[in-house]
Amino acid sequence: MIEIAPIIAVLLPLFGAFLIPIISMVSKRFHVERACSWFAVVILVTTLAVVAAMGAAVWGSGVMVYKLGGWSPPWGIVLAVDGLNLLIALIVAGVSSLVAIYSLVYMRQDTRIDLYSVLLLLVTAGAMGSTLTGDIFNLYVFFEIMSIGSYALVALLVAFRRKWDSVEAGIKYMIIGSLGTSLILLGIALLYGMIGSLTIADLAQKLGQVAASDVLVPLALLITGFGIKIAMIPLHAWAPDAYQAAPSSISALLAGATTTAGLYAMIRVVYMMFGAFGVGTMFAVFGLVTMVVGALMALTQRDLKRLLAYSGISQMGYILFGIGLGTALGVQGGLFHLLNNAIFKALLFMCAGAILYRVGTTNLNELGGLGKNMPITAGLFVIGALAISGVPPLNGFASKWTIYIAGIEAGKAIFSLIAIIMSVLTLAYFLKAINSIFLGQRPKRLQNIKEAPLTMLFPMMLLAVLCIVLGVLPSLGINLVAPAQGALMNQSSYINAVLGGI
Amino acid sequence: MEFGPGFWGPIVATVVMLLGAGFAYLMLLAGRRLARERPSIAKRSTYGCGEEVKPEEAITDSEQFYSSVRRVFKPFYRYVQPGHSGKLNTYLLWVVIGFIVILVAVALVLR
Repeated sequence: MIEIAPIIAVLLPLFGAFLIPIISMVSKRFHVERACSWFAVVILVTTLAVVAAMGAAVWGSGVMVYKLGGWSPPWGIVLAVDGLNLLIALIVAGVSSLVAIYSLVYMRQDTRIDLYSVLLLLVTAGAMGSTLTGDIFNLYVFFEIMSIGSYALVALLVAFRRKWDSVEAGIKYMIIGSLGTSLILLGIALLYGMIGSLTIADLAQKLGQVAASDVLVPLALLITGFGIKIAMIPLHAWAPDAYQAAPSSISALLAGATTTAGLYAMIRVVYMMFGAFGVGTMFAVFGLVTMVVGALMALTQRDLKRLLAYSGISQMGYILFGIGLGTALGVQGGLFHLLNNAIFKALLFMCAGAILYRVGTTNLNELGGLGKNMPITAGLFVIGALAISGVPPLNGFASKWTIYIAGIEAGKAIFSLIAIIMSVLTLAYFLKAINSIFLGQRPKRLQNIKEAPLTMLFPMMLLAVLCIVLGVLPSLGINLVAPAQGALMNQSSYINAVLGGI
Repeated sequence: MEFGPGFWGPIVATVVMLLGAGFAYLMLLAGRRLARERPSIAKRSTYGCGEEVKPEEAITDSEQFYSSVRRVFKPFYRYVQPGHSGKLNTYLLWVVIGFIVILVAVALVLR
C-alpha cells in the first residue's frame, strides 16, 4: 500500500480541486456552510498524513520509486522520493494544511470560497507534484500548475472585495513568473536535445560525460527560472507586490510552501542533475547579496506584509548561503533554515492576516498599542519575529548558528560576519514592527478591536510551538533534515534506485 | 548540541534566559514602584517642544524609524530603492540583468 503513497500524495489535492465545484453545488443546494473549506482541510490533512507515512520507508531504506503505468525509466515517468524531497513534501503539505485551517475563518466573509479552495488545492498539487516527480518535464508541468494557481490566488481579492491592487500584483507576478517558467522550459528543451532523456536520474548520469561549455546555457536558464520563483536577488522584484496584495493566508502559502518547492527544484536540478557543487560558491555569493538587499529594503517599509516579503527574501539568502557552502554542516544548516523559514514565515504572515482581519490595515503608521487588544497575536508575532531574527533559544538561532559556523569552517568568515550583521538588522526591523503595531499609543479607533478568532489562532500557536521546540531541542530538527542532507550530498543512491542499475 | 568549534547547550541556555527575563521583570516592577508615571501638561509641553501633543497623535513615521541606518547606506537607497518602483518594465529589466549575471557567473565557475 505504501508503494503507491507518492502518487496518492499528488492525486489527492489534484482530484480534490476538481471535486470542489460539485461540493459547492451540493452544499448550496442543502445550505451547508463552509463545506468547500472543510473539504479542502480534510484533503490537505490527509495528504500530510500520506506524506508522513512515507517517512518510515524513506528514512529506513533510502529511496521510494513509483513507476507510472509500470513503465521503467528512462522511457516511463517515475515518482522518486528520497530524504530531500520527503522533507520538502512534509513542509508543503504541513503549511498547506495549516493555511487551509486558518482560511476557515479568514476567508469566511468572501463569497467565492469555492474558487479559493480549488486554487489552494491546485497550488498544493502542483507543489507536491514538482517535489515528488523524478522526471524533469513532469517537474515543469507541475511547476506551471503551482505557478498559475498562485497568480490567480494573488489576484483573487478583486473577486471578493474589488481590490484592484491585487489584479495589478497578480498580472505582474504572472508576467514575470511566466517568463521564469519559459526559461525553465527552454532549459529543459536544450537538455533533451543534448541528452535525449527527461528522467532526472538519467540526466544526472549522462550529463557527467558532456563538456562543461555545453551545459552552460541550460544551467543558467534553469537557475534563472527557479531563481524567479524563490525571489533570489536580482529576480525578486515580483515578490513584495504579490505578497502584499495577496490574502494573508496565501502570502503564508507562497512564503512557506511554494518558495520551498521552488528552492527544492533549484537544488535538485543544479546539485543532483548537474552535480555542480562548483556552482556552490556562486550560490553563496548570491545568497549573501540576497540577504543584504532583502534586509536593507525591509528596514524602510511602512507596510507589514511588504516588510515580511523583503524579510522572506533575506531569509532565502541565508538558505542559499548555507547550501552554497557545499560542506556537510553548511547544507545541514541551509536545509534546517529552510524548514525553520517555512515555519516562522507562515506564522508571521498569519499574524499579519489576524491584524488585517481585525483592523483592516497592515500600514504600520496606522497601527499602535494593539498588544492590549490582541495579546495572543502579539505574543505569537514576537515569537515569530525573534525566531526569524535568530534570537536564542528559538529555532532560527539553531539554524543560523549552524550556517555561521559552517561559513567560518569553510574559510568564509567574512561571509558569516555579514550574515550575523544582517541578523541584527532583521531584529532591528522586527523591533520596529513590534513597536509600531503592538506597543506605543493606541489610536482611538482601535480601542474596541478584539483578539483574532480561535480557529485562526490555532495554526499560529502550532507554528509558534514548533519555533520553540525546534529551538530548545534543535537535535529534533537536525535529525529531520539529516536524511535530506545525506540525499543531497550523495546522489548515487538516488540514481541507482531510479534507474535500477541501468 | 555541538557545531564545529562552538558549543551550545540549548536547554541550559533557555533556563538561564528565562531566569534572566524573570529577574529583569522583577527589576521593572520595582522601578515602577519607585517612580510612578505622572504625565502632566507641563511635562508634555516640555517634551513636545512647547506643543501639546495628544498621546494618540504621537506616532512616528515607520519609514523614518531607522533614518540613521538609511544615512549610512545612502548609496544603496539612492540607486537600488528606485528599482523597486512597482513598474513592470523595471522588474523585467531586473530579470534580464539577473539572467546575464547568472550566465556570466556560471561561465566563470565552469571554465
